[in-house]
Amino acid sequence: MILSEAQIESLAEQTLARIDAPADAALLLEGSIAEGFGNSRSDIDFLLIADQDADMPTMPTIFFIDGRRVEIRTRSVGQISRHLLEVGRAKTIARLDEHLLNRCQRFLRGYPVRRPDLIEKVRENVAYDHFAAVMTKWWAEYARHSVRHAVMLDALGQHDQAAVWARAGLQQAAKSWAARNGETYLEPKWLSLQLDRLAADPLVARYWQTDTTADCIRLVADLGVTGCADTPDRLVVERPREVTTWQIGDRVHLVRDRQDVFVLGAEAARTWRRIIWGRPLTTLGGDGDLLATFVRYGLIRVSWKGAAIAPRLPLAAPLGSVTPAPAMTQPILSIGGANPRHPRAVDLLPLPAKRFAAAAMALVWGNIMVENAVEDLRGALDREQWRVAALATTRAVNGGLRALLCSYGVSPLPSDPELIAGLDLLPDPQPRIAQLAHQLTSGGGDLAEFIAAVRAAAGGEAFPSSFDSADGWQHTLDIGYDWLRLGAYLDQQLPLDEAQDLLASGGAQPHTKAAR
Amino acid sequence: MKILVTGAAGLVGTEVCARLNRNGHEVYGLVHHVRTLVGNNAELIPGDVTQPRLGLDETTWQTLTNKVDLIVHSAAITDFGRPRELYQAVNTTGTAHVLELAAAAGARLIHVSTAYVCGEQDGRILESALDAGQRFGNHYEESKFEAELLVRKAASDGLAVTVVRPSVVVGAARTGVVREFKNIYVVLKLLSEGRVTAIPGHFDACVDLVPVDHVAALIADVVEKPADGLTLHAVGSSVSMRHLSDVLAEYPSFRVPRYVAPATFSAASLGDVERAYWERMLSLYESYFRRRQHFDDTVAAGFRGHKRAADGPAHLRKIIDYAVRAGYLGAPLPGVDEALAGVGR
Repeated sequence: MILSEAQIESLAEQTLARIDAPADAALLLEGSIAEGFGNSRSDIDFLLIADQDADMPTMPTIFFIDGRRVEIRTRSVGQISRHLLEVGRAKTIARLDEHLLNRCQRFLRGYPVRRPDLIEKVRENVAYDHFAAVMTKWWAEYARHSVRHAVMLDALGQHDQAAVWARAGLQQAAKSWAARNGETYLEPKWLSLQLDRLAADPLVARYWQTDTTADCIRLVADLGVTGCADTPDRLVVERPREVTTWQIGDRVHLVRDRQDVFVLGAEAARTWRRIIWGRPLTTLGGDGDLLATFVRYGLIRVSWKGAAIAPRLPLAAPLGSVTPAPAMTQPILSIGGANPRHPRAVDLLPLPAKRFAAAAMALVWGNIMVENAVEDLRGALDREQWRVAALATTRAVNGGLRALLCSYGVSPLPSDPELIAGLDLLPDPQPRIAQLAHQLTSGGGDLAEFIAAVRAAAGGEAFPSSFDSADGWQHTLDIGYDWLRLGAYLDQQLPLDEAQDLLASGGAQPHTKAAR
Repeated sequence: MKILVTGAAGLVGTEVCARLNRNGHEVYGLVHHVRTLVGNNAELIPGDVTQPRLGLDETTWQTLTNKVDLIVHSAAITDFGRPRELYQAVNTTGTAHVLELAAAAGARLIHVSTAYVCGEQDGRILESALDAGQRFGNHYEESKFEAELLVRKAASDGLAVTVVRPSVVVGAARTGVVREFKNIYVVLKLLSEGRVTAIPGHFDACVDLVPVDHVAALIADVVEKPADGLTLHAVGSSVSMRHLSDVLAEYPSFRVPRYVAPATFSAASLGDVERAYWERMLSLYESYFRRRQHFDDTVAAGFRGHKRAADGPAHLRKIIDYAVRAGYLGAPLPGVDEALAGVGR
């Protein structure tokens, strides 16, 4: 130890003098210094053990004594005994909490300062050899997951990330091997000193010389961790919870956790469409980068022959799905869904799924409204029904404004009388559209110019596809059905009763004379 | 007991034979084309239910009438798209022939019918209901209805009969495993591969899926605990068209159909290839996409030893997963074209 017995005794006395400790309590120096590690900056960690069953507060008290930071925690005999028994009797070792193991390890390997008899008695709750065997298995499980993750990344061509995880797996395998040899200290920061004490074994020298992913994986096996050889054929593509695929027209959208929407570029969509659950990862072919992105975002899961791969570093949060920054493409929506930035894009949309679906259905409905109103306008003009024509014009304007607002993700929409004022909800001002809308609803204005302006502001494709041809109209209706499926999945109410009627009627165009 | 199982090589029959064997019964399996049963100790008897005396020679007929205590009649044509005469011959006339054997042997009969003898009636369907002047969705339903009428007549003449009505029989409850991919599996294949992209249906229309092992278990239960004179719904869990859409969307390679209002659906608007798939195959199932039927199984619950599968979407997922594992779903295979070629033969 870096401290002498006299130094420890002096620190203990000064510490106990500052706290209100029971006279018969035991005192233990624990942690890195007790293990024989540490340096001049290391904290002094004391554990005060009260000879009682009831729990003690676990927050440490901190002092600065002789220029050193001293932490003293208190626990009862009952508390520590329960911790030790929990570890000793655990059936599923991989699920043991690292903080629990850390507490037990520090207690079992601490240096008794007061009442060694009481400490020894409590230690009888679990044999140290058994504890070391638990730690061996626990670290091995960590190593297994890390290496399997590395094998998966390597198979997908993500060699740099694979190397990082292979190295993490090797470190964990070394901790497992060290535990088998009695070195159970949990935190990895003193691994080098643990290995120094085991340097007689040639595996230690190999550990320091190993570099490549393949060598790391081989050494992990030699350190006694089984079940994670470099055999990518064991990797199987699995269904994650709550990821669904919704094709709108030609565009593929994914909904994750019923909450996040991703839109795929054409190339990404082709790779996605090749995925079949339960098939070996290596048989998917396709594009490793894209598949790795799908894994990273939690859109697919990869197992090791059915066993989940859950890599994590000890004392760190588990590696979960990553969520990228949302793609800020404007406008966000068209009739055919969101617009991916490029063919390989896996773009997260800046709208939650429910609002995405609601805005899209309202966008479809805005298009249909315009079509409907323009048909009515033509009929009214033919018969010189000027008031009917004025009303139809207002409806066409409202339909256009709705479509424009929805294409930017505005949802729910303002009410019809507030649509013109609602243009201020858009990221850029639209003074010309507002002016034309005002004119048209006051009996003047140019509807064709208004539609052209809305078309330009909404990015062309969004509005109104139905004007171009009968095919365009049918396409709009078909896409309305596509959106309905997503809306149903998200328990979405249709934005308007009229939309429900329209789609329930099989998409018959509301005001045309002949059925299409 | 000495038990004759007709249709012993069929989806339900095989499972029933295996269970009755396990329960210590002496089982005779009437088979038509198949000559061996996997994992079964049933003694196989070649026969043909469409023929008088099941096409058996005199000695075999006499042996059966002397020996048999109970008959489980599960022989039937269950796939769709065959000529009406074939359904009548196998499902209706075949039942008449089995009734003759039961009468001659003085044996109890468990007649395997279908929950869909209710035809296109919507709402809650009771086990006691049969003739409500219903319209049938296809010749299969009609033939099974007529067979049930014969069975009821025989029961009123004193025969000890139980009718078991499975809904759509699919893969096993725990594993989804099924021995043949017919009916709903064909629908799943055509839709998931995008061979047909739009169907006339409602999101809230539903079909009932029952695991094959649950059907066999109920039949085995009734063998031990007679339910003479009763009709039992062997049903599982309801799957709506919305569930179908949601579950298909969980598979990246699958297409999800559009549901178009039935009143305005027109096959003429489909492309040539899609129309062929629709007209020759999927249209056979058309009425199931708009039915809203729920099968009451109060009577069956009194005999059933197992728990009814409750979660329809979960079971749908399980049977699809199995079909993907088996290679039937998930990638375009020649299966569809073969099936297409087989329709109408």
